[in-house]
Amino acid sequence: MHGYRAAIKRSSYKIEVGERMLTKEEVLRIAKIAKLSVKDDEVEQLIKDMSTIIDYADAINSVVEDSELEFDDINNIANAFNEDIVLESYDRDEILKNREGGEKGYFVVRKSLRG
Amino acid sequence: MSYELVAGLETHIELSTKTKIFCQCTTEFGGEPNTHCCPICMGMPGTLPKLNKKVVEYAVKAGLATNCKIRNISKMDRKNYTYPDLPKAYQISQFDKPICYEGFIKLSSGKNIRINRIHIEEDAGKLIHERGDTYIDYNRGGVPLIEIVTEPDFRSIDEVHEYLEKLRLIMKYIGVSDVKMQEGSLRCDVNISARKKGEEEFGTRTEIKNMNSLNFIAKAMEYEFGRHVDILESGGKIEQETRRYDSALNITESMRGKEDADDYRYFRDPDLVNIIVSEEEIKKLKDELPQLPDEKLDIFINEYGLPKDDAELLIKYKKIAEYFEEASKDIKNKKLISNYILSQIFRRMPTDSDKEECSISLPPEYLKELISLLENKKINSSMASNALEKMLDTGKPVSEFISQKDMQGIDEDTLREICMRAVTENKDAVDSYLGGKEKAFGSIIGYIMKETKGKADPQKAGEIVREIIKSF
Repeated sequence: MHGYRAAIKRSSYKIEVGERMLTKEEVLRIAKIAKLSVKDDEVEQLIKDMSTIIDYADAINSVVEDSELEFDDINNIANAFNEDIVLESYDRDEILKNREGGEKGYFVVRKSLRG
Repeated sequence: MSYELVAGLETHIELSTKTKIFCQCTTEFGGEPNTHCCPICMGMPGTLPKLNKKVVEYAVKAGLATNCKIRNISKMDRKNYTYPDLPKAYQISQFDKPICYEGFIKLSSGKNIRINRIHIEEDAGKLIHERGDTYIDYNRGGVPLIEIVTEPDFRSIDEVHEYLEKLRLIMKYIGVSDVKMQEGSLRCDVNISARKKGEEEFGTRTEIKNMNSLNFIAKAMEYEFGRHVDILESGGKIEQETRRYDSALNITESMRGKEDADDYRYFRDPDLVNIIVSEEEIKKLKDELPQLPDEKLDIFINEYGLPKDDAELLIKYKKIAEYFEEASKDIKNKKLISNYILSQIFRRMPTDSDKEECSISLPPEYLKELISLLENKKINSSMASNALEKMLDTGKPVSEFISQKDMQGIDEDTLREICMRAVTENKDAVDSYLGGKEKAFGSIIGYIMKETKGKADPQKAGEIVREIIKSF
């Protein structure tokens, strides 16, 4: 499981703040994924701050957990659909207007490898 | 020590809707770069996506055709990652409530490959890497996809191959995708691991990303499985990681490891409302499904009496299967029709795409007419073949090439008379035949065919000649 739900579910569903502290390894791993450099003397404070955030998410989660509200959306409407009928696309010059550089109708960026 | 392969598949299939998933730009393949784009599929601030109704219908059909359960309420989520193929920096997908779940595809061995889920998502743009730069074409961005995720049920490359062929055929039959692999409308990620035979626990897996050819998938899996076994045999450990297949070198190479694992921060897309599919709608879509390839195969073999290999060749191409069905309506000997299709008619459609389109101008009714003349012994098989050649050349019916008179065939009395003459006028041949030379018999029949201008049924003529010679 990915994402916020996984992060939330990792700790138990308790509302008290500070119930479960993140470990140093967890904080460093999250920093690595977020591509942030963290100095040694910053780790302690980060553990405290991030644990508080996780606990706050737990508190929210304990309210909405697995109920019908899973599908709640603000407008309480469903099935707003487009018909499968082609409309004219935008003029390419409009689409490319904000690009920097580029050639032959393409956007161009410097090569980057995903990961 | 022998090892067993364990694999699971994630297959992306491009849906053949006319328009993109959240806007009404065309999904047509090709086109000048960035000409099938609008502010919505370009992810401009302030735009609102709206789901294409056909996408939901197609996804549900795909689910029904692969024995999935359909979720009555589902929703769209954002999968966040930053890469130039995605102008919004997130892909709209489905996370925890996929529209279809818990299905399966049955292999010919009887084994089920379980499908964990099928979800709806948007395709990303196309990147072309050149001279240290990346050129981006967003025409493909926002084209609708379904992703079909299996359980790790594959134990051999052959099983993967058969599953993909079946999946492709099903999608083609139900008309939700044209599944052209060369255009990338079917792409696969393979999760693969190795374990010692007899062991229960799975080994550490690696994932090979984004392959669009059955051949490459097989080669990549073969290489990767070998790599796992080599590492395990030498006492090493497999790193859980994502790899890519390099078809030029026939190797897989690491793209990113577990430590760099994506954290997609999924959350519900607040721009898109719930998708509700009622039981009535599901039933309606189910009723719209055509006969699926496996059902057809069963009927062709068990009801029509076709050999399995022939039946498989016919159903491999939906339009050919339909052509066969049309042509063989009311024909008793359906194998006769199938034989003509698989030989003479297939020769007129040498490539796969010819067969895919059933690219001949001869209507199936004309073939039926010809074969029913043959079946009722009005004409013989060489007349039928000759006529069929001309019919295929022109697209015209048999009556253009065989006259009513010739269609009458030859009545038995006339045939007997000619046979008698053949025996008396070919004394030498008869003697050689009686002397044990089988070949000589052919020249007697040849005489009869010549005399009747090919109208005689050579088999029937042979019977009569044998009878006459015996009575001497």
